[in-house]
Amino acid sequence: MNATTDITAIRAAFETDLQAIATEQDLQHVRDRYLGRKQGTVATLMRSLANAPAETKPALGKSANALKRDIEQALSKKGTALRTSMKSTDSLDVTLPGRELAFGRRHPLTIIREQIETIFETMGFETLQGPQVEDDYHNFEALNMPADHPARDMQDTFYLDQSIPGTGDPALPATLLRTHTSGMQIRYMETHTPPVRIIAPGLVYRRDTPDLTHSPMFMQVEGLVVDQGITMADLKGTLVEFLQAFFDTETKVTFRPSFFPYTEPSAEVFISCVFCSGNGCSVCKTTGWLEILGCGMVHPAVFEAVGYDPELYTGWAFGIGIDRVALLKYRVEDIRLFYDNDLRLLEQFPH
Amino acid sequence: MRVLVSWLRELVEVPVSIEELAEALTLRGFEVGAVEPQPPNEDGSLDAVLDLEITTNRPDCLSVIGIAREVSTLYKTDLRPPSIFPLPDTDSTPLLTVTVDDPHLCPRYVGAVASVSIGPSPPWIARRLEASDIRPVNNVVDITNYVMLETGHPMHAFDFDKLSKPEIRVCSGNIGGTIKTIDGVERRLQPEMLTIADPEQACAVAGIMGGADSEVTETTQTVMLEAAYFNPTNIRRTGKSLGLTTDASYRFERGADVAAPPTAMNRALELLITTKAGTPQGPIVDHFPSPPTPIVVRLRHNRIGYLLGQQIDETFIAPTLNRLGFKVRLEPDSDTTAWQVQVPSFRVDVKREEDLIEEIARHHGYDRLPTTFPALTRPPSLPAPWRARDGLLRRLLTGCGFSEAITYAFIERASAQSVSEDSENIVALQNPLSEKASVLRPSLIPGLLDSLIHNRRRERQDIRLFEIGSRFRRNDGESQALAIAMTGSATSKHWSSPDRKSDFFDIVGVVTRLCEGFGVQIALEQTRVGHLVPGQTASISLLATHENRTPIGEIGQLCPEFATRRGLTGSDPVFVAELDLRPLSVDKFDRLQANPVPRYPSMTRDLSVEVDNSLPAADVRGTILASAGSTLVEVKEIDLYQGEEIATGAVSLSYRLTFRAPDRTLTDAEVQSSIDAVLRALAEIHRAKQR
Repeated sequence: MNATTDITAIRAAFETDLQAIATEQDLQHVRDRYLGRKQGTVATLMRSLANAPAETKPALGKSANALKRDIEQALSKKGTALRTSMKSTDSLDVTLPGRELAFGRRHPLTIIREQIETIFETMGFETLQGPQVEDDYHNFEALNMPADHPARDMQDTFYLDQSIPGTGDPALPATLLRTHTSGMQIRYMETHTPPVRIIAPGLVYRRDTPDLTHSPMFMQVEGLVVDQGITMADLKGTLVEFLQAFFDTETKVTFRPSFFPYTEPSAEVFISCVFCSGNGCSVCKTTGWLEILGCGMVHPAVFEAVGYDPELYTGWAFGIGIDRVALLKYRVEDIRLFYDNDLRLLEQFPH
Repeated sequence: MRVLVSWLRELVEVPVSIEELAEALTLRGFEVGAVEPQPPNEDGSLDAVLDLEITTNRPDCLSVIGIAREVSTLYKTDLRPPSIFPLPDTDSTPLLTVTVDDPHLCPRYVGAVASVSIGPSPPWIARRLEASDIRPVNNVVDITNYVMLETGHPMHAFDFDKLSKPEIRVCSGNIGGTIKTIDGVERRLQPEMLTIADPEQACAVAGIMGGADSEVTETTQTVMLEAAYFNPTNIRRTGKSLGLTTDASYRFERGADVAAPPTAMNRALELLITTKAGTPQGPIVDHFPSPPTPIVVRLRHNRIGYLLGQQIDETFIAPTLNRLGFKVRLEPDSDTTAWQVQVPSFRVDVKREEDLIEEIARHHGYDRLPTTFPALTRPPSLPAPWRARDGLLRRLLTGCGFSEAITYAFIERASAQSVSEDSENIVALQNPLSEKASVLRPSLIPGLLDSLIHNRRRERQDIRLFEIGSRFRRNDGESQALAIAMTGSATSKHWSSPDRKSDFFDIVGVVTRLCEGFGVQIALEQTRVGHLVPGQTASISLLATHENRTPIGEIGQLCPEFATRRGLTGSDPVFVAELDLRPLSVDKFDRLQANPVPRYPSMTRDLSVEVDNSLPAADVRGTILASAGSTLVEVKEIDLYQGEEIATGAVSLSYRLTFRAPDRTLTDAEVQSSIDAVLRALAEIHRAKQR
């Protein structure tokens, strides 16, 4: 085979390949095949000319260059044609839906919990996590609720049939499902000196028959501040700030005396009804107010239990039900829906 | 506690409307749940019943007089308690004797005998009882209830003639003894239950309910009235074990007033006489061997401000406490202003200074306290590591299309057993709400499956759920775990391509992605787990090095029988995985150091080998990684083939190997020598043949 027939063959093969080009990708492949710098057919041809007899070299060189130019022009023309033709023949129905990327949702109680954590963390609080199975001491006794205290009725408790290992002292195995997250506050104070500024979110358990507003398991956040000179005015200021940050800045907040064994004085906090803005409706029983949380100044007996000097240190604590807040904020009508995990509910919440 | 306003007005002046009163009481800690209008009084004044919520620390306010005392403090008006009635002289021999076995359980017992003529109560008494939700019975019983409502002190009337002898003994219940209480129920007595007995039998469960045998009836001619003080803890325990709460036990277990029995008795006898229901016989017996010393609490003026954040005017303190029944004396020679405050016996809740400060705060008004923000005196801590871990888990899983579930910690025992290696390890509840929630979950899978079933039954075919939560085992207590479950299509339905159902490798992909998110590699090994389909079950280990593996969980297809038994419908298989969260942390990212971006190109080579079917692919991959040398940067499984050209019992595995050196462009020869080394190793170790 000589160079002349090579050129003819390449030209013929190129014509075939050119006809077959349908896409930009094909075009690139053909360009690489013929014009590639190292392996390309034309480059190989050019190199082979170096060995051709001297008398035919100039003519062959000319033909080869012509071939290269023709291929370049043909491909360039093809490229233009391709780009022009795509506009009409390959147009898409852009209104068809795209491919869905699966994306799940956080649970609404998680969303609310994280919002509450964020608000308190910006106020300098540390978020704690603790065990859901507790011992009697951390759930009740250290909180000024000795055995047979009538206040234990306020928190009807699930007991384990036999104790299981707890998280701390082996002499204090877990015997019950915690009725509040206060045990974590006790554990924290047992191992830290003041100042204390913590919140303790988590699931808690009370032996309530499920209904629209009660669930035997629900989520709660408790908070605790201890230092020298902490006052009830601080309690009010912090909680008003929190409630207005969480609900809205127009929310009215009122404090009423109440009773909890672990706080003295104790208060219940009400906010202006989120449904009727305080004008009175069925949710707030026409009072205009919704009970939202319980709080108070830490009882000195609690400080004594953890070895803090109640004369030197004062503090306050609060507890808020996340489910209740979620019901109010998202206007969900039944607390049990939170534990059905029905995707038709879950998928209404942000990611 | 239901309080008739006209009754209240009898004991204290109320200078405001009923609505204003309700509002003011609510703000003082006595939430008025409802104001129920009543027919107007004879003088035309409006009347109503206030339905008050009384917190457990204030048994003194389970009475009209207790509320009146609060009202008197509120409006600075005078309290008008019924005065002590001058009882007619009687001969000095009491008609009954009282013995108390354990004065700790009954520190005081007041008894009196009266001849009575049983009939209906006068209308005003009946009306007040009815307004307070107590059904009128007869004039004598009604008087005991009336006195309880007015003074807060429970009383009981016995048919005196039905006592075997006029000898009252307050003693523990006999073992095996029973008593038929006035509600007609035969109740078994226990030694720890306190009873009121005559020499022959128990006549009442002390402080809770009287016995039917000595009940006052239409034929009763003489009664023995009782006003006693019983130990709150004992009453509470007895009430709990009998499953019985009465108006009396409700008050006794919260703490009655040890000073009240004689006053209550006097009031009852007064009403007997003035309503012509009866006449006292003989003197009142008051068994009160050791009266307690009153509690005195020191109250410092500056401590009030220290706790409340607002200095309360000195002149507000003593008058407020006095009106509430405290006896207040200014300390004469103290450096700072302080008071010695004697606590009245009806205020069982007041024991220390803070309790008095609450009284001041309550009557000052919580809403008048300022709002301030506590100063930070130490820099706040950084968020705990679990916060970042759980946040990352949620981001990764929602990114994979999984939605978060929260399921109950208590499940059915049968479910727990299905997912538990050892049923001895299951933690049961002593007092579950139902059989369906009787044990603590040893695994998150059953709860997640139930949520999946809930969705499947509501027309949902494609379901992906996860839960982060605690699981409970008897041997190692509570631990944090993650469970994921998926069923239905692997990809979202789209018009451009056919559907593909999720399979085992989809959930493996999710777990792999999850662990990659934490910067750790995992290894799977075939295993057997009760609730997963054999052959489609693997254990998951974290891979620190090839040899150092930490088992963290299991993955596989859920046994269809188990799922169906829980109520799953439809035919799509369910894939689950559960991981122990303890070994996962984001700590390592704090120490992360970036590698240089590669400067030289990589080269890829594809490789197909035929190996024994039973050989795990992970072993082949391991051999490739170990034998290829340092320039191998990636191995990918690209094909698996069995069939024509492949021997029976063998499988063809294809790999794409990527080579790269950090300091040069690799040559064909270098890469080929690596490939040769790999093929040699595969042949030697696995008898693999190149294809």
